Amino acid sequence: MSTNREILFGLYDDETDLLSAVKVAKERHLNIDNVFSPFPVHGLDPLLGLKESRLHQAGFIYGMIGTLTAFLFMTWVFTRDWPIIFGGKPYWSVPAFIPITFELTVLFASIGMVVTYYAVNGQGPGVTNPVLDDRITDDKFCISFDAGHSSEEELAAYRKFLGETGASEIRTKTI
Amino acid sequence: MNQFTFPSRARVFLMVCMAIGLVCLGITYVTDDALHTRFWSNLLHNSVFFTGIAFLALFFLCANVIAFSGWYTVFKRLWEAYAQFLIVGLVLLLVIVAGLWMHAHHLYHWADADAVAADEILQHKSAFLNPLNYTLFTVIIVGLWIFFARKIRSISLEEENVDKFDFSVHKRKLRIWAAAFLPIAGFSSAAMVWLWVMSVDAHWYSTLFAWYATISWFVTMLCITVLTLIYLKGKGYFTEVTSDHFHDLGKYIFGFSVFWTYLWFSQYMLIWYGNVGEETIYFKQRLQDYPVLFYANLAINFVLPFFVLMRNDTKRKAGSLTVITIVLILGHWLDYFLMLKPGILHTAHEVLGHDAAHHAADHAHGAAEHAHHASHMVAGFTLPGFLEIGTFIGFAGLFAFFFLRQLTKAPLVSYRDPYIDESLHHHVV
Repeated sequence: MSTNREILFGLYDDETDLLSAVKVAKERHLNIDNVFSPFPVHGLDPLLGLKESRLHQAGFIYGMIGTLTAFLFMTWVFTRDWPIIFGGKPYWSVPAFIPITFELTVLFASIGMVVTYYAVNGQGPGVTNPVLDDRITDDKFCISFDAGHSSEEELAAYRKFLGETGASEIRTKTI
Repeated sequence: MNQFTFPSRARVFLMVCMAIGLVCLGITYVTDDALHTRFWSNLLHNSVFFTGIAFLALFFLCANVIAFSGWYTVFKRLWEAYAQFLIVGLVLLLVIVAGLWMHAHHLYHWADADAVAADEILQHKSAFLNPLNYTLFTVIIVGLWIFFARKIRSISLEEENVDKFDFSVHKRKLRIWAAAFLPIAGFSSAAMVWLWVMSVDAHWYSTLFAWYATISWFVTMLCITVLTLIYLKGKGYFTEVTSDHFHDLGKYIFGFSVFWTYLWFSQYMLIWYGNVGEETIYFKQRLQDYPVLFYANLAINFVLPFFVLMRNDTKRKAGSLTVITIVLILGHWLDYFLMLKPGILHTAHEVLGHDAAHHAADHAHGAAEHAHHASHMVAGFTLPGFLEIGTFIGFAGLFAFFFLRQLTKAPLVSYRDPYIDESLHHHVV
């Protein structure tokens, strides 16, 4: 997924440095492109102004679809299409449907959420993800700026910001 | 404010609650049938319910200690205080035990020597279901729980004197005693549920029943924790308890409400599928004579918390939590009502029927008598009446009064628990 964007980024050694740097960037109204971290950092999302994901709401809807699919399908099969008496129970044996309904609810919710997640993030089989630096999946924390679409003054401000907030490395890379 | 003082208004309020409970128990006793079935069953119902809550507080506290978890540390005094109620619970249950020996009540079919003599199933079960066993189990096991409740509490208070982040007491004492309690609690609580609750249906048994009843206690215990925290925060205590702690308690309530339903349904479906008369009678009775409670039980204890607590924000806000926890406490109280009353009523009808027919041990007659009695709604048996609600208010007042008094005896937040910082900085989202 190469987009030929020129990225200016700084690497930090510690998540507390990262958090305080993001705070400074917000104060200076710097337009952060992205933040990378090897693990979820508490308090980062609200600082960056990221909205809560709506994935779980989609998951609820998929789950409900699963519930209805399973329950209505079994109801149709055992009352209309092919009624058979099992173990002397009535055709419409709700307690016997419950475990299968539960399983299909979980199946629909989980597969639906995985597919939605991949689709929304433009990921799928064969997609490679360009990485700014391998160490941001290990022990480095990164703040990046879109250098290709920034003016000279903005770039200078970004570099100054990265230097002042304690980034251990400042580099540019085209990905 | 780290030292709780019992507000005099709350004291008066809870005393009034207890007085209501006493008056209701008195009225029940006077207006009752010849066996005082309603009085004794209400006493058993509430005693078992609140004793179980106290037990589960101790159990969950120990489980958290063993799991090295720290999120709960800031309010762990609450669970220590709940657990001390076991002493009161033992006293209440000893009243039931005394009634058993003095033949003052007919709560348990198996305690009736004549009934056992005429009943092969009860004879086979009599090695476990007999008055001596009931007494010994109640005294020894609840006594053991009390011992652990006091031990854990005293170790926890001992920790007040150590340095910050000093693990010595935690490692050498608290974890060992907590680990010792868990297996004892796991096995003994099941035996107590069989004796106190399941044996009212003396012919019937279910291997799932003990878990199902225990989880009912557990959800109630968590709900009471949430309500207490909201109350104490309103009074200016527990400023360290944040919406993140409520979020985790809410998740436990949500999760274990689903688990309760899982157990409820597992028990129901296996019995429905197996279709064995000795087993299905339990549900037949409840579906025929208690349809409102039977379905309300599922609606209140599963559907409601499932949809209300599914969202993040309802687990974090005091308003939604207050409503759902109050409803759930009543819901699980109704659950116990539904576990106990049908069996007790059945036993009472059989005994009364026998007396009327002058010991003509005719089972068909007993069954017909039962069908006749159960064909209409009876307040106090097929539905809780005002007297039941009043009795519940009394017991709830007693429970609250007791644990609030326990809270005054130690600093509210234990700043010397080695896990306290983890708890103070607890973040969920």
